[in-house]
Amino acid sequence: MVTPMNCPLETRETAELLLDYCRRRLSPERAAMLENHMQTCTACRGFAERQRAVWEALDGWEAAPVSADFDRRLYRRIEGETSWLERLSGRLRPLLAYRGVPVAAAACLVIAAGLLMERSATPVPTAAVAQKVNVEVQPEQVEKALDAMDLISEFNDKVRPEKPQAKL
Amino acid sequence: MAALDFDAELMLRVREGDGASFGVLLDKHRSSVVHFLFRMVQNRAVAEELAQEVFLRVYRSRATYEPTAKFTTWLFRIATHLALNALRDGRHDRSQERLDDDSGDLPARQVSDGRPNVEHALLNEARLEEIRRAIAALPEKQRAAVLMHKYEEMEYSQIAKVLNCSESAVKSLLFRAYETLRARLAHLA
Repeated sequence: MVTPMNCPLETRETAELLLDYCRRRLSPERAAMLENHMQTCTACRGFAERQRAVWEALDGWEAAPVSADFDRRLYRRIEGETSWLERLSGRLRPLLAYRGVPVAAAACLVIAAGLLMERSATPVPTAAVAQKVNVEVQPEQVEKALDAMDLISEFNDKVRPEKPQAKL
Repeated sequence: MAALDFDAELMLRVREGDGASFGVLLDKHRSSVVHFLFRMVQNRAVAEELAQEVFLRVYRSRATYEPTAKFTTWLFRIATHLALNALRDGRHDRSQERLDDDSGDLPARQVSDGRPNVEHALLNEARLEEIRRAIAALPEKQRAAVLMHKYEEMEYSQIAKVLNCSESAVKSLLFRAYETLRARLAHLA
């Protein structure tokens, strides 16, 4: 004989019995107890019928199939994430095996940094200085100017007669 | 201490540098993760993008992995976390247009199986649409709980660990979720 039970719908905690029953997760004994109860409890019977309907409806919802290239895309992302660092360390590993190489590399870095700093410390000529440089007179220009002055002087001497001697 | 589940053992091998074990885990759980995410966000492209992120995170965590919980609990915790974030970020905007797109992702047999009963196929599609909408209308945590309970056949205790809440909270979530679904879908029987 099946033992009678309290109505599972009285509390939410016991209502899980009905969910498990519709999921076919109850032991045969508990299922028999519940079925016995449902013969007289219309609320539980209605609950179980509607829950089973939901369960069957959800069974009909198939998820979309996974894309064929899912794994390829995933492995490409994994490779992309790990490769650059691993490749770099992989390539440097043989070099790092020699004790002198890291020291030399560090020294090169220090020298390069020093050169860069010195270069940046050299003052940049200002616009005024640049202009000054541009207006500086070249020696050829001076010579030409002097030649021109000589020619003018000769011309003056030929055109103008000698100045009369000042009377004493 | 309970014996390690096989998946956790595989993950420990991945930690030791065994890439093939990661492939085994991927083969074993790819579909369930993608399908869970698909039903959560109801968009195939977004679901696959999220699933890629799930497995990428698993791979990234290999060095620090400790089998403190069942592997699938950990896996679905990552998946649920990403799905809930995606839904909250609004990255995935559920719209009629997208639902129509998704219907194209469903197996072709539902509408083009060549049988004369086109009416039956259309009816079937309408039912599926109703189910998708009912699930999508559930609050996010209830939705996740129902999907894990129904499709992944997880126990209350495992769902509780995934959702980081008590077992009684899970029972309450499920009770309310199924209550809503019964009201919306019971007529489909």
